[in-house]
Amino acid sequence: MTQLFGKFSLALLLSMTALAFYGLMGFSASKGNSGADWSLLHDSYFWSILGFSLKQAGLSAILSVVLAWPIARALYYSPWLPFRSGFLSLCLLCFIMPTLVLITGLVVLLGRSGLLVSGWVEGWNLYGLHGILIAHVFLNMPFAVRVLYQQMNNIPDTSWKLAGQLKFTPLQRLRWVEWASLKATFLRLFGFIAVLCFNSFAVVLALGGGPQATTLEVAVFQALKYDFNIPEALALAWIQFAITGLLYVMVSRWGSVNWLSAETSVRQWLPKPSALVSVFNAVLYTLVWCILLMPLLALIPGIAEMNWQKFNWQSVLLPTLTTLVVGVMSASIALVVAYGVLIPLRQSAIRGQHKLQLLHEWLGMHTLLAPAMVLSVGLYVYFLPRIDLDAWGMLFVVLLNAAVIVPFAAQHLRPRLLQFDQQYYRLADSLKLTGWARLKVELPWLKGTLLFSFSLVLLFAMGDVAIFSIFGDEDWMTLPWLIYRFAGTYRMAEASLASAILLLICAIIVLYFERSRRHAGN
Amino acid sequence: MLEIDQLEVAWKGVTLNYDFTVDVGEILTIQGRSGVGKTTLLNVIAGFEQAAKGDVRWQGESLLPLKVTQRPVSMLFQEHNLFEHLSVWQNLQFGLVGDDIEQRIRQAAAVLEVSDQLDKSPLKLSGGQRQRIAILRTLLRPEPIVLLDEPFAELDSTTRLIANDWVRETAKAGNKTVLLITHQNEDVERVGDRNLMLN
Repeated sequence: MTQLFGKFSLALLLSMTALAFYGLMGFSASKGNSGADWSLLHDSYFWSILGFSLKQAGLSAILSVVLAWPIARALYYSPWLPFRSGFLSLCLLCFIMPTLVLITGLVVLLGRSGLLVSGWVEGWNLYGLHGILIAHVFLNMPFAVRVLYQQMNNIPDTSWKLAGQLKFTPLQRLRWVEWASLKATFLRLFGFIAVLCFNSFAVVLALGGGPQATTLEVAVFQALKYDFNIPEALALAWIQFAITGLLYVMVSRWGSVNWLSAETSVRQWLPKPSALVSVFNAVLYTLVWCILLMPLLALIPGIAEMNWQKFNWQSVLLPTLTTLVVGVMSASIALVVAYGVLIPLRQSAIRGQHKLQLLHEWLGMHTLLAPAMVLSVGLYVYFLPRIDLDAWGMLFVVLLNAAVIVPFAAQHLRPRLLQFDQQYYRLADSLKLTGWARLKVELPWLKGTLLFSFSLVLLFAMGDVAIFSIFGDEDWMTLPWLIYRFAGTYRMAEASLASAILLLICAIIVLYFERSRRHAGN
Repeated sequence: MLEIDQLEVAWKGVTLNYDFTVDVGEILTIQGRSGVGKTTLLNVIAGFEQAAKGDVRWQGESLLPLKVTQRPVSMLFQEHNLFEHLSVWQNLQFGLVGDDIEQRIRQAAAVLEVSDQLDKSPLKLSGGQRQRIAILRTLLRPEPIVLLDEPFAELDSTTRLIANDWVRETAKAGNKTVLLITHQNEDVERVGDRNLMLN
C-alpha cells in the first residue's frame, strides 16, 4: 500500500511533465512542424539571451555571496548586536517573499521618479541588467547571510581555542579556521543562487526587457504569449531544462545548502574582535537592516497616496482570499505528494542502492528544473481541446503550483525521514508496523518539519505569477497578479497597498515558520 | 525447533558460517569476540540481512523468503529500541496484544523497577531504564522467537540480576525460543540453558 502510494505520487509528478512536453510537441506537429525549432541555435538572438541568462545568474550569485560574507561575520563575531534573531527572520522573509512585492518597493525607491533617485541622479534607469542584479542581490544576499552564518556557527569552539593557544594572527585565523570552514559553502552557495537566478522569471519580466535583458524563461514566455511560436518555445524550453539540469547535478555534487537552521547556538569561546572591527560590524549591521527594510517600508508612502473614499476594498479582499485558498490547497497537495515521492527514495536508501536513490531524487526534484512556464503552457495546449479551461483553470493553478513546489517540500522532509529510517526502520519493521500504523508513528516525528515545510511552500505558492499568467481566471485574481496588473497600469498606490497586504501575510507566516522551526529543534 | 542450516552470510568481505539448532523453549546464549558475526546472525534470522547460502527454518518452514514483518520474531537491538518522539507508554502499545496486556506490562514494569517511568518521554530516561523498557516489550510480544542483542549491557549489577531472572522466567513461562548475545559469563550461567561460542 505504502509502496503503491509512492509510485503513484512519482507517476503523477512525471506524467504532468510528460503531458506538458507532449502537449507542446503534439501541437507543434499538428502545425506541420516536427517539434522544436533547432534553427534557433544559428540565431544571434538565442546566443544573446543565453549569454545574458548566464551572465546575470553568475553576477547575481557572486555579488550575493561576496556581499553576504562581511555581514555574516559581523553577526558571528559581534554576538552582542541587538535584534539578531529578528534580523535573521528578515533575511528569511526577503528570500521567500513574493518577488512582485520587492519589485513594487524597488520601483517606488529607484524607479524613474523613485524616492532615492529623483532629482539628483541624472539618466538613471532601473530597468536592465543593473535592476535585475539589484533585485536578485536583494532576494539572495540575505539567504547567503543565513547560510554563511550557520556554517560559521558550526566551527567548533576547540578550533578557536587551539588557534588562540597557537597565537594565530587575525589573518591566520581567517586563513586556517574561517576560510577552511567556509570555502565549500561558498561554492555550493554560488551554484545554488546561480540556478535560482538562471530560472528567474518575475524579476526579469518586470525589470528586464528587449534581447539585451531577457533570460531563457522569459523568452519562452514571450515566444508563447506574444508570437505563439511553439517550436521556438519548445527549443528554448529543452535548452533551459538541459542547462538547469546540468547546473543542478553540479550543485548536488557540491552538497546541499542548509539555510533554515540559522539559530544561534550558545558559544563558550570566540576570538574577540578589535574595537575598530566591532564598530565596523555595528555600522555594517545597521546599514544592512536599513537596506533590507527600505523597499518594504517604501510601500508606506505609496499607500498614503491612496484615495480611500474611491477605493473598493473588495478589489483587494477577494484576491487576498483567493491567494490564501490557492496557497493552502497547493501546499497541502505538495506535502502529500512530496511524502509519496520520498517513499521509493527511502527504500533505495535503506537497501543501500545509492544510484537508484539518486535517480529517485532526481525524478522527485525534476519540476525544479522544468520551467514553470513550459509546464503551464504545455498542459494548457494539451488540455485546451479536451477540457473547458475557463471553468477548470483555477484547478490547474492549484495543481501546477503544487507540482512546482513539491521539490522544496521534499527537500525539507527528506533529511528528517531518512533520519527516522536510519534510527527506527528496523525497530518499526521488527514491531511489524505497516501502512497506517507506521504513519501514526512517523507523523509525530515529522510534525515540526511538516509545519515549517508547509509554511515555506505556502509562501512559494502564494507568490506565483507564471502559472497564473497562463491558467488564471480574471474573476479569481491572486494578489501577485493584482500587483502586476496595478503596476502595469502605473497605479502604484494600489500596487503598494496590495504588496503591503501580501507582505504582511508573508511576515506572519515567516514568524510562525521560525517559531515552529525552533519548537521542532531544527 | 529453530534450525540454522549451513548458513553462509557475506559481511564486509568476509564469509560467516553458522550451523546449529535451538529447541523450542530453549534459551541459547551466544558469545564470541567482536566482529565474529553475532549481531549479523540475529539480523539474518530477523530478516534485516540476506543469507548467501543455507537456510533458517522454524518448525520446518523456511524463514528466508518471508519479509521482516511476516517472521515470528521479536528482536531487541543494541540501540534505538524506543521511538524517542513518543512516550514510553505509547512505545509499549506497539507489538503487544491481549486483553490483560496492560496488567502484564504494569506487573513487569514493577519487577524491572520502571513503573514510575511509563508516562515519561524516553529522552528523560537513563540508558538502563530505556533498556529495561525495551526488554519488557520484546519479551511480552507474542512472537515465539526472541532475539536479544546485548540486552543487559547498560544495566548496573543489581538491576542486571533482576533483569536476568525476569527474562528467564518470562521466556520459560511463554515457552519462547531465545537467542541472547552477551559478553558476560554471569548472564550465560544465570539466564541461558546452553552457550554457543562463535569463532
